Amino acid sequence: MAEADGGGDAKAPLCSSIPSGKDAVWFDVSSLLHRACHDLRNDELISGENFNLFAALSALEIMDPKMDSGIVSTYYSVDEAIENGAAPIPLSFDRTSDIQCVIDIMDHFLACEATWHKGGSLAQTVFSCIYLLRPERTSSHALLHSFCRVIRATCSALVSAVSEARTNEEEDLFTMAYGLPLKVNGDEKCLSMIHAVDETLCRQLKACKATVSKKTVLEDVEPLQIHLDLEEGFCKAVLCRIRFRKHFYHVLTCLRKPQGRGLELAKKHIISCLSELDSMLKTEEFLRQHSACGTVENEDEKTTASGCQPVGFDSTLNSRSAAPTPPRAIKLLSWKRAVDYFRKLLHDLDVICSYSLDPVFEGALRFVVDVQKFQPDLVARAHIQLLLVQDGKLYGRESLFAVICKAALLPEGAKNHDIQKNESVQQLGQLLITLFGVLCANTAWQRRKLGKILQDWQIIYVQLELAFRKEFGETASTSVEQDLLLKVCKHILIWVEEQTYWIALRFLMLGFELELYSTDEYCMVYWYIYIILIKLAEKTHLKIMLSNDSSRRKSKKKKDFVKDVVKDYHVPPAVLFLQCYIHISQGLMMMLASLRNENNIFLCQGPFNTEQERFVQHFELLQKACLPDHASFFSFTETVANTHFSTLPIHNCFKDAQKIAKELRGSFANDPDRLGELRQIEQVAEHNYVALNLLCRLGSLEPSLKISFDFIHHPHFATASVKRS
Amino acid sequence: MALEFDTSDIEYMSYSGEHHLPLIMNLVDQELSEPYSIFTYRYFVYLWPNLSFLAFHKGKCVGTVVCKMGDHRHTFRGYIAMLVVLNSYRGRGIATELVSRSIKVMMESGCEEVTLEAEVTNKGALALYGRLGFIRAKRLFRYYLNGVDAFRLKLLFPRPEPDYSDSIKSIADESEEHGDGMPPEERIIQ
Ligand SMILES: CC(C)(COP(=O)(O)OP(=O)(O)OC[C@H]1O[C@@H](n2cnc3c(N)ncnc32)[C@H](O)[C@@H]1OP(=O)(O)O)[C@@H](O)C(=O)NCCC(=O)NCCS
Repeated sequence: MAEADGGGDAKAPLCSSIPSGKDAVWFDVSSLLHRACHDLRNDELISGENFNLFAALSALEIMDPKMDSGIVSTYYSVDEAIENGAAPIPLSFDRTSDIQCVIDIMDHFLACEATWHKGGSLAQTVFSCIYLLRPERTSSHALLHSFCRVIRATCSALVSAVSEARTNEEEDLFTMAYGLPLKVNGDEKCLSMIHAVDETLCRQLKACKATVSKKTVLEDVEPLQIHLDLEEGFCKAVLCRIRFRKHFYHVLTCLRKPQGRGLELAKKHIISCLSELDSMLKTEEFLRQHSACGTVENEDEKTTASGCQPVGFDSTLNSRSAAPTPPRAIKLLSWKRAVDYFRKLLHDLDVICSYSLDPVFEGALRFVVDVQKFQPDLVARAHIQLLLVQDGKLYGRESLFAVICKAALLPEGAKNHDIQKNESVQQLGQLLITLFGVLCANTAWQRRKLGKILQDWQIIYVQLELAFRKEFGETASTSVEQDLLLKVCKHILIWVEEQTYWIALRFLMLGFELELYSTDEYCMVYWYIYIILIKLAEKTHLKIMLSNDSSRRKSKKKKDFVKDVVKDYHVPPAVLFLQCYIHISQGLMMMLASLRNENNIFLCQGPFNTEQERFVQHFELLQKACLPDHASFFSFTETVANTHFSTLPIHNCFKDAQKIAKELRGSFANDPDRLGELRQIEQVAEHNYVALNLLCRLGSLEPSLKISFDFIHHPHFATASVKRS
Repeated sequence: MALEFDTSDIEYMSYSGEHHLPLIMNLVDQELSEPYSIFTYRYFVYLWPNLSFLAFHKGKCVGTVVCKMGDHRHTFRGYIAMLVVLNSYRGRGIATELVSRSIKVMMESGCEEVTLEAEVTNKGALALYGRLGFIRAKRLFRYYLNGVDAFRLKLLFPRPEPDYSDSIKSIADESEEHGDGMPPEERIIQ
């Protein structure tokens, strides 16, 4: 460092010429610095107050190959790379090897693209291609040129989709395009160029087939390359790759049509994409056999079907200009894995396209939750979100106030009520949009955000209550107006409460999927889930009764009223469904509590804190939002302390859950997802009932019994298994 | 792999100067994948020498823990940055003893909680910290450079019963946390 500063430079005129400003006076400290450097030995550090951990971690040791990615780059600039022949055009004057190289590039692009979708930066993946970085250079090579164009257009479409969705932190890296030539004039015409290439290839394929079979040339077609016996194989290999790009680009454009109008067509292109991917896999053998290079042996490292290294890629070229933090080398997915990734992506997109777009809140909510079960990656999740909320409306069709009214089971006319202009009601609409966004995020981020927005929902409840009261005093003058307003307010408030508990429940349940709970903590988690479920069921029931009540009052005469009350006493299926969950979570909580009390296992003990601290940490956000009121560590311990295997309700819990689940099948006959869920619940209940009986009979007598909990039947409700060790 | 040794022969020592630095660096370089510059080590051991410990067996350094503590959004918290025990010395409680010593100092220094990150696949470390009372507070999506998720582990020290009675009021003016509660400062990678 002292050497680099060089004594002579200390008097550089630049330093002394900075004029003093209003708040600053500039001194030349070069010589001081120079002298100070002599006092420092190698590796020594002067720590300033602002030298924090991040600064420490960002400090690089120059020329350490583990850290300094600068030293591994071969070229200093794209131009230098091109001058040195790193990206020749044509790739070879031998037309066969030219085609082979282009196919390798196409395959490597696929690996790059998948790696980008999976969290790599655009600069280090797709745009590590020199051909892509200098768009004008490829124009003499129709095939490569059109392919590069469609790749850029695809990336550009995805970057804008993901940045519009703004789902979470993942997208930051995804959409970072720095100074990359993402939008190039002419790329919008990529489809017609690809189409032209496709046609040429078709003619070449036809010509070569004709030559082989009938030995006559149909028309004067110049073959793709020089070896006639390989012509068909190469034509096919290029065709499926080109067509995949074409259909994939179509899928993306169709998905972006307003109000989901392109979903049907998107599905067709998805099918085509999948079949082209299959064709690509089938060309692997051919390409490997005829590859002209030493191939990579390790399947996991192969980024091309042929196994050859592609020409024209250098991932270090962008690294200096690209990243804000020191760039790190990234590992690309293999070509095979990239194909798998795209298959999965297309499957997820197909699920999205198959949705009915019925603008009903519950439906939309369940749709997102169901799609999330497939663990879609960022690109698919961004598209769900874009579909759900467009122009501030559900699917771009239904205003959020109308959606809320329907969800709150208000009559059709309510959606035109003036109350929707109220500021708090509009805020509620915004919360709904946020909620949809959060539900589209990756589950790790989603859970954190759900925990935070709980407070917003709690606040909006209070604000709505105030707003409604004010509105009542100011605007509603006639008793008819007052009645209607009162009704709208009551329904919406109950619905907000119900929603809040639903969010709390999802927050708790996701903890299982993310493996945030240890077995020792299951008891308190199921206890909490149990009390949240009770509240949720209560609010749902209230909401339904409220609407039954008012519709009955409207439509029925007095004398039918009593009869109806009896008839309506049936608990609605939606509530019974929750009742099932209530029984299961209560059963699990009690089983775990008994094991703690009688077998001394699953206790939270540590040298530094107690179970209370774990409780506080896990449920802090719920407690802060008073969800539910009076739920405390004390009430938890009290419940647990009084639970033993001899406690009667334990045994009924699982039995009741099983019984209700069976009965409910009829109510959800047309809903395969719900039926599946009911079947899972039945299984959990049945297995736990058996395990419980075993524990009651043998439990404390046989200390060698090994009890464990797993999630083989349901992602959130554990199944106990008891084994002799 | 298992080495015959008497656990009573293991000596524990607090970081006590420049001569310990290469010992720590060698161990960490050997056992953790992430490369750290010397500045990272210096940052920790110079500012919080009392939180770093080394374990020796017959004069050979076989384990180490490196930590920090400081204010973090109105709480005073400890942070465990690196914990390593030589492969052949594992499974005998050395790591448990090392972190326990650091945690004790943190507690005595007034920390309210201790945090760290661990790969979701690091079963050994997760079990060790679980026994010490850490909970998995968050999952951090693709936290590590290799694309693996991490858990943010947290140990809360006992404190007076929190009072949430007027939390609704205070919630309203609480500003939104920046990002996901993962300041770049703590994006240390193990
Ligand atoms: C994680 C790591 C530090 C643990 O070190 P360790 O010294 O083996 O840990 P401990 O011995 O304290 O505890 C581990 C096991 O030994 C057991 N153990 C504790 N004291 C023991 C004793 N006196 N005798 C025998 N076994 C003992 C523990 O019960 C534990 O067993 P389990 O996990 O199978 O239930 C070590 O594996 C390591 O260096 N890993 C690589 C680096 C790393 O992952 N660091 C952590 C990053 S967060």
